[in-house]
Amino acid sequence: MKKLRDKIFIFLLKLLTLFSLLLLAFIVLFILKESIVFFKEVSILRFISGKSWNPLGSLDKLSILPVILGTIYVSLVGILISLPIGVGTAVVLSSYTNENLKRLIRGIVDILAGIPSVVYGFIGLLVLVKFFEVRFSFASGESVLAGGIVLSIMMLPYIISTCDESMEKVYNEYSQHSNALGVSKSYMVRKIILPESRRSILAGTVLALGRGMGETMAVMMVIGNAPIMPALFKKCQTIPSLIALEMGMAEVGSLHYHALFASGFVLMVMLFIVNIVLYLIKKSIDI
Amino acid sequence: MKKRVGLLLSVILIFALIITGCGNQGAAPTESEDTGDNGVEKSSDFNAQMTFNGSSTLAPVMSAIATDFIEEYETWNNVNPDFPEENIAIYVSAGGSGAGVKAALEETSDFGMLAREIKDEEKEKLGENMKDFTLGIDALTISVNPENPLHEIKDDLSSEEIKKIFSGEYKYWDEVDESLEHKEIVVVIRDLGGGAHGVFQNSIMGDTQVREDAIQSPSMGALVTKIIENKDAIGYASFGMVNQNEGKLIPLKVDGVEPTKENIVDGSYKISRPLIVVKKGDLTPEQQAFMDVVTSEKGAEIIEEMGFVPAN
Repeated sequence: MKKLRDKIFIFLLKLLTLFSLLLLAFIVLFILKESIVFFKEVSILRFISGKSWNPLGSLDKLSILPVILGTIYVSLVGILISLPIGVGTAVVLSSYTNENLKRLIRGIVDILAGIPSVVYGFIGLLVLVKFFEVRFSFASGESVLAGGIVLSIMMLPYIISTCDESMEKVYNEYSQHSNALGVSKSYMVRKIILPESRRSILAGTVLALGRGMGETMAVMMVIGNAPIMPALFKKCQTIPSLIALEMGMAEVGSLHYHALFASGFVLMVMLFIVNIVLYLIKKSIDI
Repeated sequence: MKKRVGLLLSVILIFALIITGCGNQGAAPTESEDTGDNGVEKSSDFNAQMTFNGSSTLAPVMSAIATDFIEEYETWNNVNPDFPEENIAIYVSAGGSGAGVKAALEETSDFGMLAREIKDEEKEKLGENMKDFTLGIDALTISVNPENPLHEIKDDLSSEEIKKIFSGEYKYWDEVDESLEHKEIVVVIRDLGGGAHGVFQNSIMGDTQVREDAIQSPSMGALVTKIIENKDAIGYASFGMVNQNEGKLIPLKVDGVEPTKENIVDGSYKISRPLIVVKKGDLTPEQQAFMDVVTSEKGAEIIEEMGFVPAN
């Protein structure tokens, strides 16, 4: 009887696992199926290396190099801003605070992660974009920089929590030794904690990069959505916002529709690479 | 023992979920096909629910009419004594004109809403039996921020000038009129593949492309907000939105024609688009009953209230 129960239980677990795996497989297959129609018309290489996107134009006007670059650019700007802040916060959290304060700050960081992205986008649109227009007299505040700043706030929790975890471990491991040697805390942070946790800083960065590249709503509201070559103070377009913007209007079954799936496929491949890198880094942390 | 019962229950629950989940999906299309083919009402086929999907311009109008309809009748037997006593449920969701056609085509919703003409290939796909209702007309006004002195100097732009502004030939406002400041023109548009842009492209731009660095707004609301927020912005705000935000943005004349209701209806104002509801196949009696209200004078009143020009 007990054996039977165990068997049923294991079978059930396997079934549920299979279900979640199948779900992923179906999504990948579906996107692949819809984009293959497009790739039959336009080669992948031309699709990702061409410079103009105009859904109303001819075949060779459907290419997304500026959009791919825009996706990467906005995420990188976001990381450049959030990395120093995030790592700094993690150092303070792990080495300079007592338990109560730590709990409070972690709670706040968690709340930061829980705010819906459209709220960030809204604030970005009304405060940040407006600020650029009024203070720096930009013609229009929508820019890569605005997108990067909004993204950096959204990335912070990821970087902080990844770094904080391993830094605390390192701190607990070495605090006694460094106290015994009488070195200052800042020396310990610089010489032990930061170097020891460099892998998790990297992991946090890659995780945030993946998060940033997939972010849709908040970014869409502040970057202007113009599919041109990105520059820091110019408008740009990212793949997720391109899809969100145009999918509702694309005629079903048209080349435009399949091109959007194809760009979704490109994004998926990009995120897949990011995740593999993340996996490799994480693996090397454990050893 | 207790554990075992719990396990059994959870297994049953999961399978029940799976089975009902699949069952519904399988049953729904056949049901709608039935009513589509026969067009005859059977009491067992009666569907108290109705769904609309499509254009974000038309969605608020439909949901206003639907709310009104539901408040007035509550249950179907109040609409027509032949209908069973079931609560009326009308769901309206927005996803763009393309999504509206898709929903009607795949019958994921009963009606599709469009804020543009139905394309020929879409008509073909919808089949001969398709029904369409033109509810009203929405015009796109070329609007600027009230702080932009342009509307005081000249409140009239020719198609040629609009074309030059939107294509990027005029980059600064002083190129449009010398007395204006040397400030960059911020062009705001909707997404290039969308219904609103299609109308604008056809009636003004022709084969000329809009400048590549124009801001593409995700919705008409966002476009209007951008014009209200940015002094140097110009964009094609819909007539309805301009009426709702009177004074916050200024619509200009096009080729000397002011975007007024009269000019839009008689067709002299050139940048306009129809608001259409489509259905694949015949209407069921209950759907007919609702569409009768939509196309009635009362429906027209609501359409007008929302800032659009009713078609009848």
